[in-house]
Amino acid sequence: MGLKKYIAKRIVYMIILIWAIITVNFLIFSMLPGNPLEAYVASLRGKIDEQRLEALKEHFGLNKPLHEQYLIALKNMLTFNFGTSQLSTAPVSQTIFAEKMPNTILLLGTEAILSIIIGTLIGVLVAYKRGGILDTTFVTFSLTMYSVPIFFIGWLVIFVFSILLGWFPTGGTYPAAWARAPPTNILEIIGGRLTYMALPTLTLFLFTVGGWILLTRACILETITEDYVVTARAKGLKERTVLYKHVLKNASLPLITNVALSFAFIVSGATITETVFSYDGIGLLTFKAIINNDLTLLYALFYVLALCVVIANFIADLLYGVIDPRIRYG
Amino acid sequence: MKNVATRKEKLTFTLNRFRKFFKQFSRNKLGIVGLAIVFFFVGLAFTAPLLTPYDPIRPSEGIGKYPALSEGLPIAERLCVPVWYKNLPWIFKGQLLIEEKFYSVIEEHYGQQWQLFGKEGQTKATNNALLLTNRVAAIANITATSDSTTRTLDPSEWQQNPNRPEEILIKNFFPNNTKFTVKYFTGTDITENIILSKDPTFASEDALNIWTNQTNRPDIVTVKYNNQKGYVTKLSKESGCLEISFDPKETTIEDVEVTLSIPFQYPYYEPPKSFIIHYSAMFEATISIASIDFLFTRETQSGQEEYIVAKRQLTPATIYLHQAIISTQNDVLQNIGVNPVTNKIFPLPGQYSFSIRITLKNLNRPAKMYLDNVDCILYGNAFGLLGTDSAEPYPRDIFSALVYGTRVSLFIGVVSAVLSTIIGLFLGLVSGYVGGIIDEVIMRFADLLLVLPTLPLFIVLIMALRQFGAISIWNIIIIITFFGWMSFARSVRSMVLSLRERSFIEAAKAAGAGKLHIITRHVLPNVFALVYVTLATSVPGAIVLEASLSWLGLGDPRVASWGKILYDFEASGTAVTKGLTDYWFWIFPACISIALLAAAFILIGYALDEILNPKLRERI
Repeated sequence: MGLKKYIAKRIVYMIILIWAIITVNFLIFSMLPGNPLEAYVASLRGKIDEQRLEALKEHFGLNKPLHEQYLIALKNMLTFNFGTSQLSTAPVSQTIFAEKMPNTILLLGTEAILSIIIGTLIGVLVAYKRGGILDTTFVTFSLTMYSVPIFFIGWLVIFVFSILLGWFPTGGTYPAAWARAPPTNILEIIGGRLTYMALPTLTLFLFTVGGWILLTRACILETITEDYVVTARAKGLKERTVLYKHVLKNASLPLITNVALSFAFIVSGATITETVFSYDGIGLLTFKAIINNDLTLLYALFYVLALCVVIANFIADLLYGVIDPRIRYG
Repeated sequence: MKNVATRKEKLTFTLNRFRKFFKQFSRNKLGIVGLAIVFFFVGLAFTAPLLTPYDPIRPSEGIGKYPALSEGLPIAERLCVPVWYKNLPWIFKGQLLIEEKFYSVIEEHYGQQWQLFGKEGQTKATNNALLLTNRVAAIANITATSDSTTRTLDPSEWQQNPNRPEEILIKNFFPNNTKFTVKYFTGTDITENIILSKDPTFASEDALNIWTNQTNRPDIVTVKYNNQKGYVTKLSKESGCLEISFDPKETTIEDVEVTLSIPFQYPYYEPPKSFIIHYSAMFEATISIASIDFLFTRETQSGQEEYIVAKRQLTPATIYLHQAIISTQNDVLQNIGVNPVTNKIFPLPGQYSFSIRITLKNLNRPAKMYLDNVDCILYGNAFGLLGTDSAEPYPRDIFSALVYGTRVSLFIGVVSAVLSTIIGLFLGLVSGYVGGIIDEVIMRFADLLLVLPTLPLFIVLIMALRQFGAISIWNIIIIITFFGWMSFARSVRSMVLSLRERSFIEAAKAAGAGKLHIITRHVLPNVFALVYVTLATSVPGAIVLEASLSWLGLGDPRVASWGKILYDFEASGTAVTKGLTDYWFWIFPACISIALLAAAFILIGYALDEILNPKLRERI
């Protein structure tokens, strides 16, 4: 199987997944006993004006039979046509993609890069010195972090860095003054954003880095006993060369698969982290949708989040294909 | 006979295996720690009703004792701190003498002279009175300095604003730029609830001991205990009450007045946050109207200060009238004039009394007044082991919520872990052993579920279900179970795939064993080591997930879970201000409990893993 065929297979798989997500979404909202979406739209009567209510019904095709509703849902989702939500008249897709998504991607991207690099490095170090005090410390830390709810990490981070030390603001996306007069100086923008992003990033970092440490450690321990590593050592290669060129390279394959899988996990964490820090991204929007019982907004949000995870998976699969020669020449 | 012998043999074998296993487990320190923590929480869960008398969702006290409050008394004020705060040396408790400095400016506006005051340091004098920054318990003295002469002002030269004790009006005009120094007492304290009557229902005659009475016509009025006429409810069958009988020989011109009071010591340097007065009264008379005043009196050096908090009128009746007077009621605020009213009534620790004054006008015939269910509760700012939350009107005891929350978290965690492990085991076995199209379908389905972001999916599911009413913990368990079996099913499947190629399965097949027999008797026992480990390690996931969902407000609102405590904190808005430092005892115990319990299960899982999968040990 060549690389092209591999990529084609992954694309087909991705399309099937996207279809499955839309179907799951439809199942939850329109096929659960009682039809939640219809009940929700009916409950809106009196809360929003008649015209918008009709527009909503039209958008979801609520007057039509179920199979037509399904086709409408497919079309709406694929064209990112999410209609409007209960609270604002702006299109939901605009709110999500233009306003909230950049913030979330900025946060998650920074966090993911930081935690993967640092987590892997620590993991290698810890695996190399396995059994030592460093190993025990980091493994215990990682296990603890796994059992601590992320909002607790968030509160602790606020408590230490914002209340006790006063280094960073407790929450928000950017300084309050920016709402009136947005700064023009690029340095000021970067600085302002970074100070507000620091604590949520740290929280997510603490939440995810443990997983990377454990995973890298496990992968390395798996490879370190392989025969070729013994050969490399026997050849008289330096320990560092063995570790980074022979061990880490081969251990990194399962790591990449897990980068993709962990994305679903990080998205869950981000929802709560953004809420704790009232960081204006998709997660906070989700929380607001919960509070306001805004089902149509959640409909769109879940699809977008799941889509992000699927796309991230796809990219990781491609990377895997490029890195693993067995796929290229297999 | 042979059968019995083999059975016995088998039993000793199993017992020995268990004994060996426990011996190995007890050598694993972390595993023992985990087990100890789990036992601790299980103990908490079982003894919850013994540890705390309060309902974790809507606590109240004295239902039946206070008929006007059919749902009982609140157990405490909102946002109380823990009681043991009083033992913390760094929390200031006691009286403070504070000095604040002001200056005066004479200005002319609209052809009139105004004397304005500013705080020292402020550039502009804008107030027409001296505004003090703290609660004023008592003014020590006020001095005025002008032209380098200092004199202490006579109390007649200034006056505290009756509606705002922090505002001091200076009556005379002083030269421009006179410096005023106000010395006043204030205080902070950890105040606990004070319940004045131990027996508000007058169940026994001893209840009268705390009451003292005073009247202007001792010849007419008698106060005694009556064991017949009390207010009887289904909940409290006692029939005692306090009887005041008026027996005039001829028409009285002057008003007949009876004052019943409970003297008490108020020990705190800070006023109580609020109070509730409750009474039930029945006035048996022919024509007269009785007026009842409720008042607090404070003993001061110069005599008594009296604060009438509420005035009520009673018309003759044959049934009891029940009423509760709450310190935030409008008429109480109007009568006292200061908000909160307790600031004025209880400025300092000392001797106080709570009194009920009954006044009858133009009494000409015998009359009887029965009082029952009389009590006065002063609510302090400290309560319980972990304070109270901000629920209204019935604040919850956070410790109770925490203890009861153990039940919910353990239950949800263990039940959904067991269920999802069973499902995972079943699907993994089927998928691995049967193979073919079934395997393909199950595994692709598992892949799909693994890709979906868990929390958003749960949010969407719960929100969809919530359109038809509240979510129950069973909904949450089912959802967690349904999305928790995949990775276990995968590992069971891969294990089964390797197992079924082994020779002992081959042998079983050759012996003519059926598929079911092979799965249950040969494959299953080999997979079971994995089951114990997965059971232990999937509990924390479920616990944390449940907590996260409750934290987002998606839990069962009728069930006290740890996540709900945190949601209440988040929803109360206190988090935004100084919540994390001032109310740490509200959230951190619950957070730590979640983390501890989750970590305990992980430790147990790791210990089991080490014992049951000895291959791993070599690697680590």
